[in-house]
Amino acid sequence: MKLNRLIFLVLAVGIILAIVLVYFYLLQRDFTKQHREFLISINQLDHSQRELTNIILENSLYTYNNQDEIAKVTRSIHQDFQNLENATILQSKAYMPVKRTLVHLKELIDENLQNIEEYLMINASIKNSLLFLTRYVDKAKHLKEQDKDLFIEAHQILEYFHNMKNMQNLDYLDNNFLLYSSSTDASTQNFIKNFNMHTSYMVKKYPHFIKITKSIINNEINDYIDDNRERFAKLSLTDFKALDTFALVLFTIFILVFCFIILLFIKYIQENKKLLKTKKSLEHSLIYDQLTNLYNRRAFEKDVFSLKMPHLLIINIDNFKHINDIYGNKVGNILLKELAELILLKLTNAEVKVYRLGGDEFGVLFEDIDPDEAFKIAKHLEYEIAHHNFIINDLELSILVSVASNNIEPILENTDLALKLLKKDITQRVIKYSDDLNLSKDIKHNLEILKFIKSAISEDTIVPYFQPIVDLQTSKIVKYESLVRLKLKDGAILSPLEFLDIAKRTPYYHEITRIMIEKTLQVANKYPQYRFSINISMMDILNDRLVDTLLENLQKNSASASKIDIEFLESENLQDISKVQNFIKEVKKYGCKILLDDFGSGYANFSHFSKLDIDIVKIDGSIIIGVDIDEKKLHMLTSIHKFTEGLGLENIAEFVETKELVDILKDVGVRYAQGYYFSKPLEHPLESDVVTL
Amino acid sequence: MYKLILVILSCIYLYAGEPISAIPQESGVNIDKAVLGKELFFDTILSRDNSTSCLSCHDVFNGGADTRVVSIGFGAREGNINSPTVLNARYNFKQFWNGRAKDLYEQVKGPIGNPVEHNMDSEILEKRINKSSHYKQKFKDIYGVSYVTMALVIDAIVEFENALITPNSKFDKFLRGEEALSKREREGYYIFKEYGCITCHNGINIGGNSFQKMGTFFEYDLNTTYPDRYDVTGIKSHKNVFKVPTLRNITLTAPYFHDGSAKTLKEAVITMAKHSLGIILLDSEVEKIIYFLETLDGELPTILDEK
Repeated sequence: MKLNRLIFLVLAVGIILAIVLVYFYLLQRDFTKQHREFLISINQLDHSQRELTNIILENSLYTYNNQDEIAKVTRSIHQDFQNLENATILQSKAYMPVKRTLVHLKELIDENLQNIEEYLMINASIKNSLLFLTRYVDKAKHLKEQDKDLFIEAHQILEYFHNMKNMQNLDYLDNNFLLYSSSTDASTQNFIKNFNMHTSYMVKKYPHFIKITKSIINNEINDYIDDNRERFAKLSLTDFKALDTFALVLFTIFILVFCFIILLFIKYIQENKKLLKTKKSLEHSLIYDQLTNLYNRRAFEKDVFSLKMPHLLIINIDNFKHINDIYGNKVGNILLKELAELILLKLTNAEVKVYRLGGDEFGVLFEDIDPDEAFKIAKHLEYEIAHHNFIINDLELSILVSVASNNIEPILENTDLALKLLKKDITQRVIKYSDDLNLSKDIKHNLEILKFIKSAISEDTIVPYFQPIVDLQTSKIVKYESLVRLKLKDGAILSPLEFLDIAKRTPYYHEITRIMIEKTLQVANKYPQYRFSINISMMDILNDRLVDTLLENLQKNSASASKIDIEFLESENLQDISKVQNFIKEVKKYGCKILLDDFGSGYANFSHFSKLDIDIVKIDGSIIIGVDIDEKKLHMLTSIHKFTEGLGLENIAEFVETKELVDILKDVGVRYAQGYYFSKPLEHPLESDVVTL
Repeated sequence: MYKLILVILSCIYLYAGEPISAIPQESGVNIDKAVLGKELFFDTILSRDNSTSCLSCHDVFNGGADTRVVSIGFGAREGNINSPTVLNARYNFKQFWNGRAKDLYEQVKGPIGNPVEHNMDSEILEKRINKSSHYKQKFKDIYGVSYVTMALVIDAIVEFENALITPNSKFDKFLRGEEALSKREREGYYIFKEYGCITCHNGINIGGNSFQKMGTFFEYDLNTTYPDRYDVTGIKSHKNVFKVPTLRNITLTAPYFHDGSAKTLKEAVITMAKHSLGIILLDSEVEKIIYFLETLDGELPTILDEK
C-alpha cells in the first residue's frame, strides 16, 4: 500500500478510535453515575426504613411521643422509593431482575406502613389504658387497707400487661385478668368494674397489638433491600467487567495504532531522507556543471540577477576545438576539469563564484569589486593559465585563454561582446569592456540594416547602379559595372559597404544577387550597345539554387547573355575550385566573360590564371590611387599589365579619378578604365557612349 | 450512622421537653405567590356558578373552618362532612378527614372538583383565569407565564395555605419559655397528658399526624356514611377511622368532630374521653382541659394583612 493511503487509513482509524474513546468515556461515565445514583437511592431507602423502625421502637418505649417524626420519615420513605424506582439504570434490560423485585419491595413497604398506621391506632389505646390502669391502681389507696389481696392482684395483672408489652410475649394471656370481690363496698365494686373494663379491652387488643408490633420490628424490608443490593452488585459486576474488557480492547487497539504510527513515522523519515538526497542531487545538477563541478550557466543567470554590483570575467580557451580535434574529447574534458581547478586555485578571494558558461568558456563573478582590481585578477589568471602545464595522460599541454572583464549591464552580453572583439585582435589576451567599444551599438546598427534589407526586398528597392567603363583608346563607353544599391524610404541610397557584409550572413544575400542578375539583364536588353558586368561571390557560386537561377536567366536572355561579364573577387578564397571551374564552363556557354576583380589587393594568387578560364583582370584601386606619385605602384601596375597582356587578358583600372591617372594608364597601355574621373555610378546607363568630361 | 444518632438524640430531646412543638414564627413562603393564592382563595371565580370560594367554607379569619355542621356548596347542596380548618393544615401528615390526599396540592383539587363544592373542571377554570386580564398579568409577573394552568392556580393557593400558620399561641410561648401557664391551664395540660390525650394529639399540630378510630374504647355511631379511612383502604377495621384533627385554634372551630355533632368544646372533650379513652371525666377536669386548650389559639396569619 502507498504511504499516502496508509496515512489516511491510520488517520481514519485514529478518528474512529477517538470517537470510540469518547463513546467509551461517556458510557462509563453514565454507567458510573447511574450505578451511584441507584446505590444512593437504595441506601437512602434502607436508611429511612431503619430510621422508621427505630422511631417506632422509641414510640413504643416512651409514654409520650411526638408522632410528627413518623409522618416525616414515612414521607421520605415514599420519596426514596420513588427515586429508586426512577433510577436510570433500572430502565435498561439487564437490570430487569432488580426492577422486578421493586414491586415486591413496594408491597413490603406499603404493608409495613399500613402496619404502622395500625400500630399507632392500637398502641394509643393500649398505652392509654395501661396509663389509666397504673394511675387508677395507684390512686386506689383505700384498697390497700380494705382489700389488700385485691390490690395485690390488680398490681399483678398490671404487671402482666407491662411484661407482655415489654417482652412482646402473649403467654401471659393465659392468666386471669379480671378482678373479683365479694365485697359489697360500692367504691370497691366501681373500681373492679372500671379495672375489668380496661383489662378486658386490652386482652382483646393485645394479640393484634403484639403481632403488629412484631411485624414492624421484624420487618424484612431491610433484608430484602440488602438482597436487592447484592443482586444489583452482581448484575453491575457484569457491566463493570464488560467495561473493563472494552477498555482493554480499546487500549490494545490504541497501542497497536500508536505502534503503527511510529512505524509509519520511521518509514516516513526514511523516505524523506531518500527524497532529500534525490532533491539535493537534483538541486546540485540544477546549479552545478557535471563535468567541472563548477556552477553552471543556469546558476550564473540566477546569481547575476541577485547581485547588486556584479562584475564578470569570462575566460575563453583559444582554439579549444583544435584540442578536441587533435587529442579527442576525453582529453578535452580532462583539460576543462583541470582548468576549472586551476581557476579555483588561483582565485583566493572567497567572495568569488566560478561558473562554466559554455563548452570552453568560464565565468568568474565578483560582487562589488573595484573594476581595476578585477582587471588585475583577469590579467593574473590569463598569465597563470598560459604558463601552466596541463599534464593529461602523459601529455603535456599548454593553452592560451582570452579574458574579458566587465561590470556594465547587461553583464553577460557586454562581456561577450568584449570577448568577441578581443578574439579579433590576436595581440591582446585580456580586455576590459567599456561603452567606448561601441559593440552593442554595432549590433543595433546591424539590426537596423537588416530591417532595411528585409523591407527593401519585399518592396523591391534593391536596384543596380551602373558605372561606365571607358575604352581609353577610343574614349568611348563600352561597358557598365552593375553595382548594388539599396534605396531607403526617405530616398537615401545605401552603398553595398553599408549593408552587403550584414546581408552576407543572412539568406537575403542570395536574394540580392538574384535581383541584381535579373535587373542587370533587363537593362542589358535595353542597351544592347554596351557590355555589363555582374559581381558574383564565392558564396553565390556555392549556392546551387542561385547558380541555377543565373543560368536560367542567361538562357532566357540569350541575346544579352553574351554581353555579360561575371566578376569574381580576387581576394576571395576559392574554396571549391572544381565548382568554380564548372561554373565558368556553364556561363561561358552563354558567351559570358570571366573577370577577376580587385587583382593585387589580396595575395595576388597567380595560380588562378592557370586553373580558371579568366578573360579580364580588374586591377585593384589601391594600386591605381597614387600611381602618379608612387614609383613602386607604377612598377606594380606595369608588371600586372605586362603579365596579363602576356596571357592575352584585358585590363581594367578602377578608381580612376584624375586626368593624370588617365595619362599614366594610357602610357602603360591599360586599355580600359572606370572611376569618378569619368562618371560615378548612374541609375541608368547613358544613351550616348561618348564620354563627357 | 451519625445521622441515626442525631435523630435518636433529637427524639430524646423532644421527649425530654414536650411531645408538642411550637409553630415557627415565619412561614417562609413566597409572599407574592401567597398573596396571589389568597386572592384566588377568596375568589368565587373558582366555582362553576361563581357562588363559592374557598373562603366560603374555610373562614380563615375565624378558625379556618365552617361554623356549619356540613358546608353548603354548588347548587346549595350540602357537603358530606364537617369542613376541617385550613389553618396550620400544612402541618398535617395527610389531608382530608380520611387522609386521602398526601399533601395540600392534592387536597386543593378536591373541593374545586367536588360536584357539591366548587364543581369545576380544570378546563373551565383555566379558561376563566386566562380570560381575566388581572390574573393573567399577575401570573405573568410572578410566574413569568403567558398562559395560566390549573397547576399554577393550585400552586398559588397552596402557597397561600402554607402561609396560614397561627404562631405565638400562649402554649407555644410557654414551650419557648417566654410565658408561664396559669395554674389551671397547667393542670389542664397535665390531665391532657396523664389521661393519654397526648398519645394522639401530639406534634406541632397537636394531632394531624396519625389516624385513629373515633371511639376506640366505646364504639361511636358505626352506622354512618362519612368518608372514613375505610373508603381509602377498604379495610373493615378502618370504619370510623379518621385523621386525628389538630387542636390548634380549637375554640374557634366548632362544631366538632367529622360529623359536627359536638356543638361545644366541653361536649367534645367529654365524648372523646369516654369513647377513646374509656374515662368518664369529672367536670373539674373537663374545665381544666378546656383552659389548656384555650392556650392553643394562635395569632391570625400575617398573610391576611397582606394586600
